[in-house]
Amino acid sequence: MLERIGARRVLIVAALGVAVLVGTVAATNLASSTVYYLTPSEAKARNIPSKQIVRLGGQVKADTLKVAFGGGGTATFSLVITDGVEDVLVIADGALPGLLREGAGAVVEGAFLPDGTFHADQVIAKHDEVYTAPTVGATPAHRTSFP
Amino acid sequence: MSAGDLGAAAVRAALFLSLWGTGAAIYAAWRRDVRALLSARIAAGVAFGLVVIAALSMMFALATHDFSILYVAENNARETPLFYSIISLWAALEGSILLWTAILAGATAFIAFRGTLAIPRLATTALAVMFAMLTFFLLLITTPAADPFARLAVAPENGNGPNALLQNHPLMALHPPLLYLGYVLTSVPFAYAIASLILGEGGDRWLVATRRFALISWALLGVGIVAGAWWSYAVLGWGGYWAWDPVENAAIMPWLTSTAYLHSVMVEEKRSLLRTWNLALVVATFALTILGTFLTRSGVVNSVHSFSLSAIGPILLGYLVAILVLSVGLLLWRSARLRDAGPIGAPLSREAIFLFQNVLFMAATLTVLLGTLYPLVAEAISGAQLSIGGPYFDRVEIPVALALLFLMGIGPQLPWHGASRATLERQFTAPIVAAALGALAALVTGTSALAAVLTYALGAFVLATVVQEFARGVRARRTLHGEAALAAFSNLFRRNGRRYGGYVVHLGIVLVALAVATSQARTVDAERTLAPGDSLEIAGYTVRLDAIRPVSEPQRDSIVADLVISGNGASEHLRPALVQYPNSAAAVGSPGIGAGLRDDLYTILAAYDQRTLSWATIRTRVIPGVSWLWLGGAVVGIGAIIAALPAPRRRAMRMPIAEVAVSAK
Repeated sequence: MLERIGARRVLIVAALGVAVLVGTVAATNLASSTVYYLTPSEAKARNIPSKQIVRLGGQVKADTLKVAFGGGGTATFSLVITDGVEDVLVIADGALPGLLREGAGAVVEGAFLPDGTFHADQVIAKHDEVYTAPTVGATPAHRTSFP
Repeated sequence: MSAGDLGAAAVRAALFLSLWGTGAAIYAAWRRDVRALLSARIAAGVAFGLVVIAALSMMFALATHDFSILYVAENNARETPLFYSIISLWAALEGSILLWTAILAGATAFIAFRGTLAIPRLATTALAVMFAMLTFFLLLITTPAADPFARLAVAPENGNGPNALLQNHPLMALHPPLLYLGYVLTSVPFAYAIASLILGEGGDRWLVATRRFALISWALLGVGIVAGAWWSYAVLGWGGYWAWDPVENAAIMPWLTSTAYLHSVMVEEKRSLLRTWNLALVVATFALTILGTFLTRSGVVNSVHSFSLSAIGPILLGYLVAILVLSVGLLLWRSARLRDAGPIGAPLSREAIFLFQNVLFMAATLTVLLGTLYPLVAEAISGAQLSIGGPYFDRVEIPVALALLFLMGIGPQLPWHGASRATLERQFTAPIVAAALGALAALVTGTSALAAVLTYALGAFVLATVVQEFARGVRARRTLHGEAALAAFSNLFRRNGRRYGGYVVHLGIVLVALAVATSQARTVDAERTLAPGDSLEIAGYTVRLDAIRPVSEPQRDSIVADLVISGNGASEHLRPALVQYPNSAAAVGSPGIGAGLRDDLYTILAAYDQRTLSWATIRTRVIPGVSWLWLGGAVVGIGAIIAALPAPRRRAMRMPIAEVAVSAK
């Protein structure tokens, strides 16, 4: 009987240990995986450090979408995202995603460079069930990542 | 009378019958009244027929483009092909809830006619719970929040058409109904569990009665999730199949708790342990399906699926809260009657492994829930909008998944109560050798990421245990019954489908794990802007751009890139396209996929010269082993079917004729 109780204690301690371990891993990773969603004004006000991954949302300013081709068939593009108050210049490598239109809403994920330019890794667009263009301040989701 | 009028009338009549059925079933269970039960039975049958009529009339309205119905006007257009018109029943909220209600009505009717035959009082109480839930959903689709038959005063000339993403691939016909079936069928074990608590039964009758339902709903959820991953892979054009999107999380959470339940149930059956726990798992599974529907349908989380805002959010939240309060209240009230038969035994027994497996599945569920709900909580507290990136889920869930893979190899090999040293040696020598070979295979094929190597090793470990089990089973049947090897093999499934079907499911899971590990570890990307005639090289393939051409169809306009693939023994034409639907702001990418057992060549038309079609940017991705993911899903489904099939009745042992003659005297 005594042996049974001992075995049971081993089990409970082991099970709790597993739970605590997973909980710790989760808690420590949660903070580092948090991606904030900001408008250009908020980004400026908060003074986001470079290298921190954030999502930047706003409208693509008219006449700012530019595509440049490099050697070997590579491409880069740039655009300005605005919320009507502040503008941010966004650059990215790769082909221009069809999701981006001048005057339409856009959300990009990436990080600020030290000079205040935003380097995007992903363009994110929201697909509504009833199809509407994303509004300013609309938040993420389907990602089109590019190298 | 138009189809819309017919559907609306059918729903209202079904609501009346469902209310009647709820009352009749309660009375029948309370007074043990057979006439009331018969009345509830008829109500269930007719209500099911009426909801099916409502769903069919919606399909008819979609197929005939009846734009006087708001749902049809918003989700259909004259140009929509018939196939996509019909499956638009589940293209948006109102239609989906109608489908959901139809499935729920079917399950209610099944319990009314079949369930009540076996264990009348418990099943009749469960029937009352089913009727109550059916009443809720029928009420929901008669309110403006989710009325599929809401009318427009003036019918427009043409409708808006379905969401571009939902009319771009035939998998859309499969993935949502499978998930809905899985979701809704979790309500059957839930109803029986609640009934068992209400009646104060301490025993396992509810569990035995709903075992098959739990297995089937679990399998449908699982296959539906894989079908969803496949749809995402074939439609969204980013070359992946899983992004920890809130909707994906909402689907995986009830699957996780349901998987835990299917295993802990065996502990209760064999050892009469974990009674309260099993009830809690059934409640959690069901509540998570409602939470998932709430999360995705209320617009509170942002996701590729987060659909238009609707008043349905608060209603579903109220329903969820009511279910949780009722269930937890009942569990606390009846906890004294749910005593286990004894403590769990040795750490190296099958029940102990199941306990660990349950702890890990709960940890996975809770951490996914945390990552999914955290943005909501953070926004409520600090007002900041944020999201939790994929790295969080990868770092937490991959170790848990690996640990579960390990337990999948251990659990079935250990006897109940505890294992001796000799047993351990007999069971695990070959699998450990296999694990080492698996790790070696990973390294030889150039897969060196730690998680991937571990997945290969553990996959081989599990594979070896399963092969060992089948080999022993076949050998035993050959000696005992003198059967040929093949007959013995198929008789394992026929005679003990639950056990050997379970092993097949485990094989399917191993395939899925290997496919995920391989595709995540060894995917190669390349992107080039090409003029017609140019080509690019990737992982041994040559991709040549032949032409860029516009294609016009009634419902859409596309730009198609004609690609010729050669190398690695391939000779194939792929046609990635950018598709413009009239109702969509942006073009939708439609990838060209050359699928193979070794690897998939995934091509995307990323951009093109809009003036003269003189160049196109082609993004390519070589994704090894991803086809095994879909195959693994199918194997899981097949295993579940084997496990769910009823075993043939045991025949009396055959006796030599002489002895029969003697005993006849």
